[in-house]
Amino acid sequence: MSTLHQLDDHIIERYTGQPTRLPAELRRQIERAWEGAPVQLYALADLDQSLRLTESWLALGPKHIAVAKRDSEGWDVHSIERSRIEAVREAPGLSANTLTILGAPGEPALALLRYTHRQRRAFENLRFVLEEQLQGHERELVGADADRLYADSVARPIRDAQAIVSGRQTAVIRRLLGYLQPYRRQLTVGMAAATVITLLSLVPPYLAGYLIDRVVRPAQSGTLSLARAGAIAWLAVAAMAVVYLIRQTAVHVRDVLMSILGEWVARDLRAELYEHIQRLSLAFFSRKRTGGLITRVSADTDRLWDFLAFGVVDVSLSLVMLVGLGTVLLTLDWRLGLVMTLPVPVFCWLIYRHSEDITRLFIRAWRKWSRVTDVLSDTIPGIRVVKAFNQEQREIGRFGEHNEDVTAEFNRIHASWTRFWPLLMLGVHSMTVAVWVFAVPRLLGHGAELPVGTFVSFLLYTTMFLAPIDVIGQMARTINRATTSAHRVFEVLDTEPEIRDVAEPVRLEPVHGRVTFDHVTFGYDGVRQVLRGVSFDVAPGELIGLVGPSGGGKTTIVNLIARFYDVSGGTIRIDGVDIRRLDTGHFRRQIGMVLQDPYLFHGTVLENIRYGLPEAPLDRVVAAAQAANAHDFITKLQHGYDTVVGERGHTLSGGERQRVSIARAILHDPRILILDEATSSVDTETEREIQQALERLVAGRTVFAIAHRLSTLRKASRLFVIEDGRLVEHGTHAELLATTAGKYRHLYQLQVQLQ
Amino acid sequence: MTLTLAKQATRGLALEWRSDGSLWAIKGEQEKAVSVRRCFPWSEPLRHLSLRDTDEEEFALVKDPAELDARSRAALETALAVAGFVFEVTHVLEIEEEVEIRRWRVETRQGPRTFQTRLDDWPRTLPHGGLLIRDLAGDLYHLGKPERLDRKSRELLWAFVD
Repeated sequence: MSTLHQLDDHIIERYTGQPTRLPAELRRQIERAWEGAPVQLYALADLDQSLRLTESWLALGPKHIAVAKRDSEGWDVHSIERSRIEAVREAPGLSANTLTILGAPGEPALALLRYTHRQRRAFENLRFVLEEQLQGHERELVGADADRLYADSVARPIRDAQAIVSGRQTAVIRRLLGYLQPYRRQLTVGMAAATVITLLSLVPPYLAGYLIDRVVRPAQSGTLSLARAGAIAWLAVAAMAVVYLIRQTAVHVRDVLMSILGEWVARDLRAELYEHIQRLSLAFFSRKRTGGLITRVSADTDRLWDFLAFGVVDVSLSLVMLVGLGTVLLTLDWRLGLVMTLPVPVFCWLIYRHSEDITRLFIRAWRKWSRVTDVLSDTIPGIRVVKAFNQEQREIGRFGEHNEDVTAEFNRIHASWTRFWPLLMLGVHSMTVAVWVFAVPRLLGHGAELPVGTFVSFLLYTTMFLAPIDVIGQMARTINRATTSAHRVFEVLDTEPEIRDVAEPVRLEPVHGRVTFDHVTFGYDGVRQVLRGVSFDVAPGELIGLVGPSGGGKTTIVNLIARFYDVSGGTIRIDGVDIRRLDTGHFRRQIGMVLQDPYLFHGTVLENIRYGLPEAPLDRVVAAAQAANAHDFITKLQHGYDTVVGERGHTLSGGERQRVSIARAILHDPRILILDEATSSVDTETEREIQQALERLVAGRTVFAIAHRLSTLRKASRLFVIEDGRLVEHGTHAELLATTAGKYRHLYQLQVQLQ
Repeated sequence: MTLTLAKQATRGLALEWRSDGSLWAIKGEQEKAVSVRRCFPWSEPLRHLSLRDTDEEEFALVKDPAELDARSRAALETALAVAGFVFEVTHVLEIEEEVEIRRWRVETRQGPRTFQTRLDDWPRTLPHGGLLIRDLAGDLYHLGKPERLDRKSRELLWAFVD
């Protein structure tokens, strides 16, 4: 079983409470009824006809479907031959969907199942296969793993939303601490310094007590000579000075080492994360939000820095400090020691409770804060609409209301902590008062003896309790925050790239540019096929126009040529070699892309043109820009090719950006070029200039051009009409126009009419 | 300019449940299996109901079910019960924050249920009061009167209710 499948099973068990697969006895019962034919797909119908939660199943096999409902004796299975199905209808609702499987018109439904959105994806898989059958595209579910598809469909929304890594929280912390391994020496020195700080903190109170009991009082009572007392006292004061000096040196060493070490670990994490992100396949990026990924590389690694640099040390040394203080106090005087130490767990618990309460208050405040930011993100980008409809006052009112609301919530938080901490301090001071209450009679000679110096040491130690109690009380929160970030970082690191090279990949040198699709099928989710048996052979230097309705599969074809995804069935060959056997990095260097919305990086025009070939000589850059009709507008910019573009830089128009991206492609000199709607978002004049540039760019290369404006593809060697995942027509512009009732001819005539 | 609804209105419209388990709409010569969509599921759930065919095209818009005959109205109400179904939360048992998600364990009229929301997805306050929570899969959970829930539920919900 794959790791992903195991993860899905874990998610289903933990978060949904529904079965992780079709019950084994039910599966056997269904397959017996089908004379051994396998269950190929299934879904859970979790609502009954009266919309109560239930457990019914719909299973699909090669020739049958089966509906199974629980009854008192087990499972009541109703099998239906697929050949009887004449229609499948899904009625979506707010939370209840209905799938109706129909036989001959006028007859009762063959099956009617109700289910929540949680099950909808699994039902869509089934519905898709049945609809394919009804359209005459009988679909062989070879290799379809019913359990995996079901688990994926149920678990995916949770898996995509949450960064889940395998292992428990302790394993995650251990793994995180493993990043400290290369810096063992610094860590050891840093921890040693921190231990020194902790231990030395215990010395001054002890010295104070020693001075009073062994020097000051004996000197006052005359049992110690003044000269001797002075010598010891000055020695003790010097020792105290040395202790403080060593302590502050240790503080310096700890802060320097641990903060630097934290930075190194954060740097390592960021580098590993970014490198891994670069290697991940496009499918990963379509699943995860871009903003979330940026946060993982920036904010999460920063939070981990804080945890590793100070959190680990603070928490561990606070524990040491509390134990050390408790031991010292109990050793100095066990009776007073108990007065001081017994309430400590209560204080830790109170701080823990307070941090929980504060978290609840913060959730409420964040919720209201999100309303404030919602108003801002609505109205600032949409300020023209606000003004056009004269709604400024209303928006001011809306903002004011939310602003008041959120202020009230933050004040509630302030009220909470400003109430809590003085009360806690009162509790701590009460301990001190209690110590006095117990100590005074003994100091005055009643009960067990209590030397004044010991008592003074004791009082000084009590003031050191609060800081470690605070850290320990917040320990759960600190560790939770760090492990949350660690989960988010490790999730990315644990994701395997879906596109990987074979052991000894082939390097085509040179690439000629023959592209062959041989019965290529492809689906993003294993069931729904976006390409269904597409075959073609494109000779080097051909310009192929890909046309057809949106969602037909054109972009998928070019994504497969660039090997952003691997085919589900069939083969793609480049110069006769299976694309999966090629060295992907080397092959992609032979591919150029000009997209509808060209992406320019933050940097100069020069850097953007040289993106694929950073060492390209300047005269070649200029030549590429001239060929792309970009040279003129670039030289008109104040800083010419050194103009900074992209975010916070000079803003170029859509047509200008497109021409820079064409120059980038020309300089890159790819053997295979992909043009994806390169001229669709510019005006006619700009389009003409871009078209000229493209004509220079395509010469001598194999080109796949996607365009909705069919007139731009008149010069194509051949046109491929892609519809519903199939290559439905191909030929030259003239040939296809001559085809009566042809798809291309129809599309072309529609566009001519619109013009 | 006076705005009036397009003429797919209810005049001459009949609705019936058929043996195929679907709601059928009949208007003149035309009849189609339809599903019901509430135009205003929370502001005005019982009026302005869009009847949509299997291609998701609007076949008719029922401005007010009272305009229909009794049989059609009954058929429509049955369809509405399914189309407008959301989980009705009766008790909140647990709300826990985990990595990037919030996990809810609730009792609903339909049975016990566990679901998840993103940490930055907040329950929505409905126009006529009450809360609506949408989970990661898209299922909806309605809390009609949060203030009338039991004490523990109210405490757990406190951070999410105004």
